[in-house]
Amino acid sequence: MDSDAWKIIHIPDKPTCPPEHQPTWKVYASVIKPKFANTIVRQLCKIAPLEDLRHVKRVRKKILQDHGETQLTVILCLAPEHNDHLNDLPLDVQKLVDPYELSPFITEVCKYAAVSKEEWEEQCKIWPTSFHPPTYNIDGISGFSEDDTQSIFKFMRLVIDLAVSEHKPIVNAAVIVDPSVRRIIASETDQVYPSSTPRDMTTTETSPFNETGDDRVTNASSQIFLNGIIEKLNGSLSDVACLNPWQWCLQPHETEKCSQWHPLRHASIVAIESSSARDRYLFPNSAESVSPDHVLPSDADIPAKKQKTSSHSPNVQKNCSEEAPRDPPMERPYLCTGYDIFLLWEPCTMCAMALVHQRIKRIFYAFPNPTAGGLGSVHRLQGEKSLNHHYAVFRVLLPGDAHNALNHGLKHAVS
Amino acid sequence: MEPVKEDHCEEESHKYMSLALHQAKLALEALEVPVGCVILEDGKVIASGRNRTNETRNATRHAEMEAVDQLVGEWRKNGLSPSQIAEKFSKCVLYVTCEPCIMCASALSFLGIKEVYYGCANDKFGGCGSILSLHLGNSQPSDIPEEAQRGKGYKCKGGIMADEAVSLFKCFYEQGNPSAPKPHRPVVQRERT
Repeated sequence: MDSDAWKIIHIPDKPTCPPEHQPTWKVYASVIKPKFANTIVRQLCKIAPLEDLRHVKRVRKKILQDHGETQLTVILCLAPEHNDHLNDLPLDVQKLVDPYELSPFITEVCKYAAVSKEEWEEQCKIWPTSFHPPTYNIDGISGFSEDDTQSIFKFMRLVIDLAVSEHKPIVNAAVIVDPSVRRIIASETDQVYPSSTPRDMTTTETSPFNETGDDRVTNASSQIFLNGIIEKLNGSLSDVACLNPWQWCLQPHETEKCSQWHPLRHASIVAIESSSARDRYLFPNSAESVSPDHVLPSDADIPAKKQKTSSHSPNVQKNCSEEAPRDPPMERPYLCTGYDIFLLWEPCTMCAMALVHQRIKRIFYAFPNPTAGGLGSVHRLQGEKSLNHHYAVFRVLLPGDAHNALNHGLKHAVS
Repeated sequence: MEPVKEDHCEEESHKYMSLALHQAKLALEALEVPVGCVILEDGKVIASGRNRTNETRNATRHAEMEAVDQLVGEWRKNGLSPSQIAEKFSKCVLYVTCEPCIMCASALSFLGIKEVYYGCANDKFGGCGSILSLHLGNSQPSDIPEEAQRGKGYKCKGGIMADEAVSLFKCFYEQGNPSAPKPHRPVVQRERT
């Protein structure tokens, strides 16, 4: 791997592990007589459906080497994880043993559906499963275009700028973006400590991202740029809210500056608040909330500044080809549906859940959060099936030096 | 006498949960998802909150967050230091009509709240046992004593007047959520009496 380059990696719904070490469940299984197969499977689907194991084939078919006969083995039901006894077979299943001449034994099947052909091949060595190549509907999981990649790197640089430049100790920063027009919706930093000066919301609220053709992220330019953050990462990380969410009360009390701090004002929470303030400001008519597809009748409500600046932005080219002279009409968003958020650190579980609530579409972060991370480090909300909304999570890997510096810094902060 | 004490406790908790349910009803009247809460210090209600997600267009404005912000704002105004505010939270008890979601359950852990009592469980988002168990605190306790204290988590008990909390949800979903994205169930005009 080229450690000098920026890179985007997808953080999947389940922990990654080598294909040959996939997590498994224990199940009861039994060889069955082919003539009973249909009846048994039908009954088992009723009394012991395998809801969470849809990828696992209920019946395994094996051609026996010696006589060329077909042997069928069926999964009866899940087995207790910490118990190898056969007497825990549920009563309903137990009732099938005698009539169908079953001889139950315990075996293992893979817990999660395979996400790659390699995983699937390994799974089938344990017990056959089905494999459906991913058909994701969120952009980027199967790769980004060169244009999107450059845009992602630029927003990440903006996040680094925010986190580093405006404060003495480094903090976390959050930038919410509408990727369809590459417009910044909100950009904020942690406000847990009094020293984290709150930013003037009116200036950040609707500012478009100023992209120019000649500042593409090259290895050389990013190295100069990253020197700033490397220095910060070598210092204390104790003010990064999501990394140290229980530490807020250890700060010294500075009466003259105590007006704004709040133990829960992590960057993501502040950015969500700022984006909802923008929403209320741009679409003051609450009646519109009944029809989110409604578009503004004219561009009159949109600050002139934005239209002017955005006409210089690269996306104008795309618009021209579609014969749209200006920005596409502004639609009243439903929360942050369709938006991306860029963060320097993986959000803590509180922030990660806040981003579920606010319907963020994609999350990009640079550094993992081993103390309280909600997107893979401690918890993994993108893999919690019960939640009503799911986002895609990506990590933006900065060039090698930044990571070395971070590891050094983390030892200081977390120890 | 054990039973008498139990009865007394139940009576107490019903009293406070009724106040939380009153907040939830205010949310329902304002066409918000009906969740409400109260925060107590020494048996006295010091803050209350209800869901305001539709009004603010900020889906994180849950009842718990509203009540917590009220307290932080007030204590900060009175010149309390961060460690004094932490000390205050460590004596606070929350009554909320529905199990705190993963976000609120984490937040309550960060704040170092003492106890949480809730009405119905939250099968989709619950952070106090249903989906995650964030009330158990920091999985990697800190060696800084003050921080470790708050990382310990909080006592949590559910099922207090759960039926009342659930019936408010039923009312809400029958009338339809006016802010849900399309397609959603049609909003039924409620008759106000």
